[in-house]
Amino acid sequence: MFAAGGVSSSIGRAFLLVGIIGSLFGALASISSARSRDRTVARLIPRFAILIFAAAVGAFAIMEYAMITRDFSMAYVQKVGSTATPALYNFAAVWSALEGSLLMWVLILAGYTVAVCFWLRKKMDDVLANWAMGVMFIVSMFFFLLSFGPANPFAVGAPGVFDGPGPNPLLQNHILVMFHPPLLYLGYVGVTVPFAFAIGALVTGRVGEGWLLATRRWTLFAWGFLTFGIILGSWWSYEVLGWSGVWAWDPVENASLLPWITATAYIHSVLVQERRGMLRVWNLSLLVSTFSLTILGTFLTRSGVLNSVHAFSESAIGPWLLTFFAVIVLVSIGLIGWRGDRLHAPGSIDSVVSREGAFLINNVLFALFAFVVLLGTVFPLIVEALQSRSITVGEPFFDQLVAPIGLALLTIMAIAPVLPWRKASSELLSTRLFWPAWCGVGALGISVVVGATGFMPLLTFALGGFASGSALRQVVMATRKQGLRGLVGRTNGGMIVHVGVILIAVALAASNSFTHSQELFLKTGTPAYFSGHSFELIKIVEETTDRAISVQALISIDGGKAYAPAITKYTKVGMNIGTPSVKTGILGDIYLTLEPPVKQDSGEAHIKVFIKPLLVWLWIGGFLMALGTLLAAFPGRRRKPTDATSALIGSNDVE
Amino acid sequence: MAAIASALLLFGGLRDTGPRSQQDRIDAITSRLACPTCQGESVYVSRASAAEAIRAEVARQVGSGLRTDDETIAYIEQRFGGQVLLLPRSTGIDSLVWALPIAALICGAAALGVVFRKWRTADDGDPSADDSALVDAAIASKNLTDSNS
Repeated sequence: MFAAGGVSSSIGRAFLLVGIIGSLFGALASISSARSRDRTVARLIPRFAILIFAAAVGAFAIMEYAMITRDFSMAYVQKVGSTATPALYNFAAVWSALEGSLLMWVLILAGYTVAVCFWLRKKMDDVLANWAMGVMFIVSMFFFLLSFGPANPFAVGAPGVFDGPGPNPLLQNHILVMFHPPLLYLGYVGVTVPFAFAIGALVTGRVGEGWLLATRRWTLFAWGFLTFGIILGSWWSYEVLGWSGVWAWDPVENASLLPWITATAYIHSVLVQERRGMLRVWNLSLLVSTFSLTILGTFLTRSGVLNSVHAFSESAIGPWLLTFFAVIVLVSIGLIGWRGDRLHAPGSIDSVVSREGAFLINNVLFALFAFVVLLGTVFPLIVEALQSRSITVGEPFFDQLVAPIGLALLTIMAIAPVLPWRKASSELLSTRLFWPAWCGVGALGISVVVGATGFMPLLTFALGGFASGSALRQVVMATRKQGLRGLVGRTNGGMIVHVGVILIAVALAASNSFTHSQELFLKTGTPAYFSGHSFELIKIVEETTDRAISVQALISIDGGKAYAPAITKYTKVGMNIGTPSVKTGILGDIYLTLEPPVKQDSGEAHIKVFIKPLLVWLWIGGFLMALGTLLAAFPGRRRKPTDATSALIGSNDVE
Repeated sequence: MAAIASALLLFGGLRDTGPRSQQDRIDAITSRLACPTCQGESVYVSRASAAEAIRAEVARQVGSGLRTDDETIAYIEQRFGGQVLLLPRSTGIDSLVWALPIAALICGAAALGVVFRKWRTADDGDPSADDSALVDAAIASKNLTDSNS
């Protein structure tokens, strides 16, 4: 009890307690300042924000310290710590299980709270800002409580333990463990900021457009982190898990995709509200759904209800998260209902064939997409509850339903960027779509010539060409008029994001439809052939460290450089992890995995070869999405408020 | 242009690509089967021993060449129990997983239709005196800046 570990535990919990109390008082100060307009109270808000951030940093630092000093008196260190884990993975081990990852959530949330507070520092007497801070504090308090109570990372462990198994082997064999979880959490937690402003706007009744513009960048960054986090996750899956895929429709993956879908819908439909003042209820609902889906996703995947490769052990946080989810949904619906009269916007949409009409269709498609993913994820639970038998809803289901939605989205992506606001004539459409459509035909022609088959992939390539034609048309026109400034701003940055999305769609269609695989039994000195490539086993290398035994097969592809797929046995956990080796190429990857059993001196290796066309474009597309998001965050040239809504930005003459 | 596009699509979509290799068939079949011990992963993906067993059986079936893909799946389902399907059936309560998205699509499309219809017939009302004053002021200031520049 009074051992050194007991002290760390107590200090850690004390920090969390300070966080709870600080959040509580921060929330009280924010709300009372909003009600009384008392400026002395308002001045306290930033102090509480700094206090809870300091508390979160303190708690996280204690956890890291315990992990780095291998303080095995703590239950969490016993669970994921090990003397054999290298320093880097040991640092990341803090977020390799439930309690620590919630602590990271707390840290990031407190960071956002203090950042928002700094951003609002000159507006602390604004009622809406107060309410938004109040919501941030309340959400923070919930997560501090979660970490203090049911998911306590500072619990004292059983005595007499001097070593542990270390983190899950999958979380200690690739550098991405340092980046994928934190980035994803920056995205998840970042959604809290626009949500807080949405609630603030509803409470104060100031549901006009001001707060939307104000939080635009916060939303964009949260979305960007989420996007980048998801893409890094699929890269990790591809480079580490060794099943040659990038996305398995695993419940945890779906849980990260769901808020991404609704946030993407919001980023688009909010433009209609900015420009035309319409769709207020819809936009608020999208923000509320995005935030509540992050909570629901955490509930589904962190409470042991659904299992997946990402799932941590069962814990008591389930009821907490479910209650919090219910509260968020009920309060939000109640507020939207209460403010219903103010939310009704004047104005109407004249024509389906207009920018705002396209955004509406886009939103219906995204809503359908979210519904399909949510349904597929929770359906096994429903069946189990009703008929107490278990079924699996897996990849083929999602592939079959999501592919047509994706094609529909690509179609709208091809047409929408050239549409003007309000109304478009068919002559205007055929002029503007002329070159983009030829890009589509060109892409289709090239695909057919190089031998692509099947309607779905061909449609994807054609629509991808069409849509990138439309996106590039906008960027080219903007850069012609404005030079390099034509690359920044929401519209142009957004079009670069579109190109990224299209590359991802094309890469997925190509690699899903045209992957071929073959098992090869290699002997040293005798090359084997598959799909026009030769594979020759050079030798088998075995390497032993204190945490693992690793066997690599050095294989020369086409007589060139050696690639080394491996199987690593993590001795403490007793788990075998296969590590693939990938020869990346512009036209396609050659993906090698080593299959057990391997004997070092046998001179034989059993490998599996996957030929995956165009896969590298998935990562290039992801990079473009991140780049486009950054460019979109820079202010571009704005339309003069007095110009007609259909006028081109930066010019007075209407095209 | 539409003619060229559809011709290319038809040609590319329908052309014969020759028989599939055995490994391609095995991959296609195993990615429709669930690994019974590993929660939602397909046999294609999984490296668990139960998945290895099913994969070996599928390979044997494909090798013998007696059954089609669907027949092989039915055979595996019968041999390994009903929990090996990754794709929910379209009977009983399981059919909801297929029916609900279609229902949602119809609802979404209908809602869009209704909304557009409502907006088209909506009367925004005449602008009030305040509105007109705002517009006049804006036009006046725009004319001023335009003539200055």
